[in-house]
Amino acid sequence: MDAKVIVFGETAIDRLVQWLRATGQPQDIMDLVRQYLEILSKAVREENE
Amino acid sequence: MTAAPTLPADQQRLAEDIYRLMVAQGAMFAMDTPIRQTLASLAAFLARREGRDRAELEAAIDLALSADSRFTREVVDGEVRFVTTRQGAYVPREDADTHSFKQRLHDPEHPLPIDDISVVVSTSRPAITTVEPVYISDYWQVQLAAAPVEPEPEAVTAPEAPAPVAEPVLGEVPLTPEAAPAPVEAAAPEPAPAALEVPAPAPVEAAAPEPAPAALEVPAPAPVEAAAPEPAPAALEIPAPAPVVEAPAPVVAPAPRPAQPPRSTVFTLSDGTAIDLRRPVDEIMAEYGDLLARVLAERLERDPLQRIVSFGRKYYPEANLASFGKNDLRKIRDYILERNEPLLDTEIIADLYYHNPRQADYEGFRFSLNYRLHREKDFEFVGVEGAYLWATRGLTITSGKRVKAAEMGQITSYLVEGYDDSSELQSVEAVRQSGSVTRLLTFFEWEYGVLPLDAGLAALLPPPLLPDQRTAVLRFESPQHYTTYLVEVRFPAGNRGGWLQGLEEFFREHVAPGALITITRTGEPNVFHIVYEEGPEQTERLLTFDEKKNRFAFANVSFYCVVDEEQLPTQSRYGRLNRLKAFPMGERRKAELMLEHVSETIGDQVGTPAAPRYAVTLDDLYVAFNVLRPGSRAYLKALLERGEDFSADESTPGLYYYAPAPRASAGEVEEEEDEALEERPPLRQRYGRYDEDE
Repeated sequence: MDAKVIVFGETAIDRLVQWLRATGQPQDIMDLVRQYLEILSKAVREENE
Repeated sequence: MTAAPTLPADQQRLAEDIYRLMVAQGAMFAMDTPIRQTLASLAAFLARREGRDRAELEAAIDLALSADSRFTREVVDGEVRFVTTRQGAYVPREDADTHSFKQRLHDPEHPLPIDDISVVVSTSRPAITTVEPVYISDYWQVQLAAAPVEPEPEAVTAPEAPAPVAEPVLGEVPLTPEAAPAPVEAAAPEPAPAALEVPAPAPVEAAAPEPAPAALEVPAPAPVEAAAPEPAPAALEIPAPAPVVEAPAPVVAPAPRPAQPPRSTVFTLSDGTAIDLRRPVDEIMAEYGDLLARVLAERLERDPLQRIVSFGRKYYPEANLASFGKNDLRKIRDYILERNEPLLDTEIIADLYYHNPRQADYEGFRFSLNYRLHREKDFEFVGVEGAYLWATRGLTITSGKRVKAAEMGQITSYLVEGYDDSSELQSVEAVRQSGSVTRLLTFFEWEYGVLPLDAGLAALLPPPLLPDQRTAVLRFESPQHYTTYLVEVRFPAGNRGGWLQGLEEFFREHVAPGALITITRTGEPNVFHIVYEEGPEQTERLLTFDEKKNRFAFANVSFYCVVDEEQLPTQSRYGRLNRLKAFPMGERRKAELMLEHVSETIGDQVGTPAAPRYAVTLDDLYVAFNVLRPGSRAYLKALLERGEDFSADESTPGLYYYAPAPRASAGEVEEEEDEALEERPPLRQRYGRYDEDE
């Protein structure tokens, strides 16, 4: 994924939803941000590799 | 059904016999399902049944079945097999699938450009709570990789040869009369029906092969040898059956992807902040964590699907929320009213739903309860971080309602207007570190049990958890008296200040105006300790407010605490305070008016009766002003500087003069004097707003 097209809070948000559902617990906003960054970083890295 | 060919009688009989045998074996098969038997199995079965030589019979079967059009001869791993079906000759099924829905779905003819791969992925929520990989067609991946996004040239690859049809193969069960179990042989792979997957008809041998359509870069199909066995000549010479040759699958290798320029790893927020995703996440979080949290929270709030919902700092998938019906809400409301105080969410869950915190879904259930109650207008969240308290309509949290919320909000507005000087005595940092705040009690605070929420208290008390939260209920414990008080914190909103109320009983029973009180944090986020310095018994004639007569008066009061003598409103020091008019609360918010009234009441008249001039010190003003309403010294200074009728004494710091403007003409003065005989304060006449009865 080209990071230029990332809209923070919209792009790949469904993956964040999936992660949140899988945890089964309410998560703090900072944990949510951290996980979201992981998802975006992974998407960008995979594409570049 | 294919008719049996004309053959010598014995061959015809043999072929017919075997055909019936194989059809009987595959009686439950579909009409076109191939039924296979090896030549060896057939020969062994018939040799035993008819008592003939097996080798001779094998040659006869091979000859007879090869000549019969109902059978197809094939050789697999050197083993001869015959295939037939219940309807006669075996014809492989056509599975050419060049225009399937699946293909059209993933490879549209005129694709739209993609800005974001996430729009391609379905946004529908999975039904189960597991992480499932989202399948994205390779087509879209290729499209996304190509920048700029343009429709790729129609490099249509040849359709791949269909995989061998997984047809049910008849087990290689020897047709022995005893039906002895034979070792199961490996199922022979179905030969690729090469002739059927080529768009052009299979060329006949010796015929010039037709060129394949240019658009479909398909190599000319290899002529299939012996796809149909040649009819056997009438002579006994047995031609060697042509083996079935599998046609190689004409797979076209995908075109190598053109070299792409390196992708950007930097994304930009709406405020222009650029963040490089190559950096470690911890580093990004340390630098932009708060900003990203704010942006993400706003985005999730605006998500039309509301896939992730929040309560406070916690976020949870909307699909996972537990449901609460109207009966649940009524039950919770009744329970709060029955207990007659705000209740923790954990109490509600434990007492009404018997949920155990050790249950796996406890936190999700707790979140669901808080989220649902927050959306109901009959419930009000009055908790703080770590203690989620709920009140409901009709619940009286604090007993004292002598001061209306709207009036107190306006009275304490000086705090949000920049006249909060509480940090001069104890800095905000010191309050945060020590976990306690110390302050002197004014008369207004003592009388009404109210504390303005200044910077010092705000640093000590927890902030509101929700953006629209107006109130929090805290529990103040007095270790000196083992009593507990529910204190309502009203947070500042807009141009209205905040305050605490609910300490009226504690103040009136244990301390006096001018007492030094200390509020200390405890281990519980909603529990605080309130203490004062105890002292020997003192009895003073202190200012009190007679609510029935609506007037101030001095009365003997005994107290057992250390007080600041400067702040203690004794009759000996502040004897004029009982002349203060008990304005209604709605009028006390007018700070200028109160300051003028206080200055007139307690100031020393240094002018003439025609041109009165009152001298008053800032300290006295502070004490008297705080009898009627709260106000900081900084606020009083600002009022004094702003007031046209006030002037500071240049020679004496802290001394001010108040010279009210001439009020009326000579005739009116006479009337005024008459009214003065009626002991009406001049201010009341001047503003003409108040009646004695008020």
